[in-house]
Amino acid sequence: MRDDRKQGKRPNQEPDHDPVVKYVDPDTHPLNPKQQSRRDFLEGTGTAVVAGAGISALGIPKAQAQSATTGSRTAINVTVNGIPQSIEVDERWTLAELLRDELDLTGTKIGCNRSECGACTVLMNGEPVYSCSQLAVWADGTNIQTVEGLAQNGDLTPVQQAFVVNNGPQCGFCTPGQLMTATALLNSNPSPTAEEVKEAMVGNLCRCSNYNAIVEAVVMAGEEGGVA
Amino acid sequence: MSEFTREGLEPLATLGNDTPRIDAIERVTGQAKFTRDWKLPGMLYAKVLRSPHPHARIVSIDTSAAEALPGVRSVITYENAQVVWGAGSVNGGRQYNDPTKDATIHRRYIFNNPVRFVGDSIAAVAATDRHIAEEALTLIEVEYEQLPFVLEPEQALEEGAPQVYAEGNLCPDFRGEFAPMVSDIGDVEAGFEEADQIFEERYETGFIHNAQMEPRCSLAHWQGDKLVLYSPSQGISNCRHDTARDLGLEDHQVQVIAKYMGGGFGNKNQNQDADLIAATLSRRAGVPVMLEYSRREDWLGVHGRWPTVQYYRVGVKDDGEVTAMQMRAYSGMGPYRKNSGGISGMDAYGCPNRYREIHPVYTNRTTSGNFRAPSEPHGHYGVENMMDEVAYQIGMDPVEFTLLNMRRPTEEQQFTNYSLEEVIRNGAERFNWPARRRVIPGSDEGPIKRGAGFSFMMFRAGVGTSSAIVRVNANEEYTLYVGVTDIGPGAKTTMGMIAAEALEVPLSQVEVVWGDTDRCPYSVGESGSRTTIMTGIAVVEAAEDLKRQIADQGMPSGTDVLIASATPRPTTDGMTRQCFGAHFVEVEVDTRIGTTKILKYTTVHESGRIINPSTARDQIRGATIQGIGQALYEDLLYDPQSGQPLTPGYYRARHLTHKDIPDIDVHFIEVDDGYGPFGAKTAGESGIILAPAAVANAVANAIGKRMTSLPITRDKILGAMS
Repeated sequence: MRDDRKQGKRPNQEPDHDPVVKYVDPDTHPLNPKQQSRRDFLEGTGTAVVAGAGISALGIPKAQAQSATTGSRTAINVTVNGIPQSIEVDERWTLAELLRDELDLTGTKIGCNRSECGACTVLMNGEPVYSCSQLAVWADGTNIQTVEGLAQNGDLTPVQQAFVVNNGPQCGFCTPGQLMTATALLNSNPSPTAEEVKEAMVGNLCRCSNYNAIVEAVVMAGEEGGVA
Repeated sequence: MSEFTREGLEPLATLGNDTPRIDAIERVTGQAKFTRDWKLPGMLYAKVLRSPHPHARIVSIDTSAAEALPGVRSVITYENAQVVWGAGSVNGGRQYNDPTKDATIHRRYIFNNPVRFVGDSIAAVAATDRHIAEEALTLIEVEYEQLPFVLEPEQALEEGAPQVYAEGNLCPDFRGEFAPMVSDIGDVEAGFEEADQIFEERYETGFIHNAQMEPRCSLAHWQGDKLVLYSPSQGISNCRHDTARDLGLEDHQVQVIAKYMGGGFGNKNQNQDADLIAATLSRRAGVPVMLEYSRREDWLGVHGRWPTVQYYRVGVKDDGEVTAMQMRAYSGMGPYRKNSGGISGMDAYGCPNRYREIHPVYTNRTTSGNFRAPSEPHGHYGVENMMDEVAYQIGMDPVEFTLLNMRRPTEEQQFTNYSLEEVIRNGAERFNWPARRRVIPGSDEGPIKRGAGFSFMMFRAGVGTSSAIVRVNANEEYTLYVGVTDIGPGAKTTMGMIAAEALEVPLSQVEVVWGDTDRCPYSVGESGSRTTIMTGIAVVEAAEDLKRQIADQGMPSGTDVLIASATPRPTTDGMTRQCFGAHFVEVEVDTRIGTTKILKYTTVHESGRIINPSTARDQIRGATIQGIGQALYEDLLYDPQSGQPLTPGYYRARHLTHKDIPDIDVHFIEVDDGYGPFGAKTAGESGIILAPAAVANAVANAIGKRMTSLPITRDKILGAMS
């Protein structure tokens, strides 16, 4: 059951013809710095974080020396939901923090902040990524779409509409991420089967476990013509 | 695709018709505002420092470097912020009882010394930015004296075991006495004398974290002597009362706001330590404080279903009649008694001689507490696997054995209605039980084996007190005020639908005001499957009152309004009111690699009248999937040498994903028993009760070996087959 979990995709990646995202084991795979997940840089690469020198109980590395209290800033250009923005970002910010805290796009949720749950999924150049595991500076030059960018002029997209009709959200916390991955899937495969939906959305968890209703909704949206 | 069917009642004007949630648009467009989405002027961010040791005394703590870090505004520790968290540890786990909380022997504070589990909180920092707060935590110097620790409940009761408290490791009951929870019905020894055969087995179950998608957080804001608390609560009224009590305030001095919240499954009722920590930091800093837990903190610092060990002894006659049932059990509560530690299931049988003895035990694992049907899934797994095994041992079909031995109405204890036999027979037929069950367990040839299992339950659907207010203006616009939040089951929509039905108007004419203790009357909270029936009855009563006013006075005109409120105290006339269910599942086990695949899953429930079909359907499906996770995957493992938790988080706890989900057929038998709002009963918890029992029974039927430990991981199947 574990081997298909999606990890955050990287920006500027060639469009993938296959919607299946290949599994990368975050604990063993030697990721290069730009591809390093937030989970790795917070927790090191050990499997079990055992309290010891330099590591606090919750896995946060101890400050080696008194560092600056605000990270240095970098100017980036990023298009968010169709609007070009020039923003100075703190180098410590994740993309999720940039969206939520700076741009007030709080529809994107942070469920785990470590590439496990998919609640923070947004589209980067059309591809689903875990925004908790992308640094904001990496978003320079990209095109980001969040859940707030789906409906246009108050008109829901077919997949949003299908979520309304088929009870797609229970608590609703994973819903934005589910919608974004489903949107990417429907963009590349307008009429997916239930199996294809499950395959593509394996990286979006729902603890209400409303999986059946979500898959039914995405299939329903596909039958109705996919996302424009 | 999953099938969804219903029978028994025709839909009413509103109730029983599929209705999109009234807040569905907010939920699919990102407008739904969850606690972490609020931002108040001058707001600080807070983080908690937690123990890296399973049991230790803090010798010293030095926060000076953290306090000196630019941007840090307040640092509080166990030394300078001693606030009792009343709901965090209660004698007997009596969560709604103030006198019991006051008398509690082993109190939990927002910060503790000694620390008693990895993740116990000891200090917190508020700073202008969450990264500064995180950094400040690393600058707090703590010197610990490590103490011996104990992880397993049975070991904790052995002589010479490390002591979590000086009084010993057996938790005190609600009277403050150190005694197990005992239920003794009939004469169990006489029952064993009567039996032709006696069977015994030991079952154990794991720790299941609630793992709701929204990690714990709290935003506190003082306005003079009034605390405004934005908190993801399952019960805003309880949260307000608990917070006021713990901070020495009157209830009216606390306002709790929970507009949207990301699930809870039992771990967000009442107040939480996060509320008290945020409130304390905010009071000291003089500005609003947002406290955020990380996923790992949430996993270790909040709670999950208690792990259990259950020893059963069952006496049975050759004709299948059970004459005696006995259970001695241990529930691992972690170091604080947050909730009961209960283990249910035996009471689903009619056997007149039953003895049950449950020992809630302190350990140095993370805290245990309520998870959706707190006492049931692990208990039904234990007892229904025990009874399934007995049935096969004496050569009976488990369904026939159940029909012979399950609890039925008696003269002394009548039911408002009784559908247990009907849901079992209906499910057996839909599932085609005789064709899927292996009469001889494990009899499939070859390494890939199929088998079928079933389980059954009844679950409380008793009525009780809650409140509602409904108002109408001259435009015939109705406003319903109910103190519910919506943790996922759709309470806002359900309450609106009940109001529309009772008022005989379309739902579009009813606006629902919810989630704010200053604007809504008391509601029981979305726990215990109580909102639909208890707050629902109050909605019906208020609506009936308003209709009478309209009949007497006519519709209001101009700027006038009519308003009605209700706080009914309904009863079930001395009868017990239960919902009923049966689950049937077929599995395929690959005995070469130990994997279990679900091929067919059939659920039949009688939950009274169904208010909103699609949300009721998904309560059953979602809960069933959570139960499958408990059966096959989830646990929080600890390293016995270091006492460190090894599997916190979705990834390591092996939660199910889209790809692991089978189709789940849901069938409701609808009945109006004359109690509850339009005959509605409960659905929220009942679905999770049966999956662990049914899946484990199916695995045993497939491989011919009884799986006595949850989760049924691959290594356990391989071990059983070797």
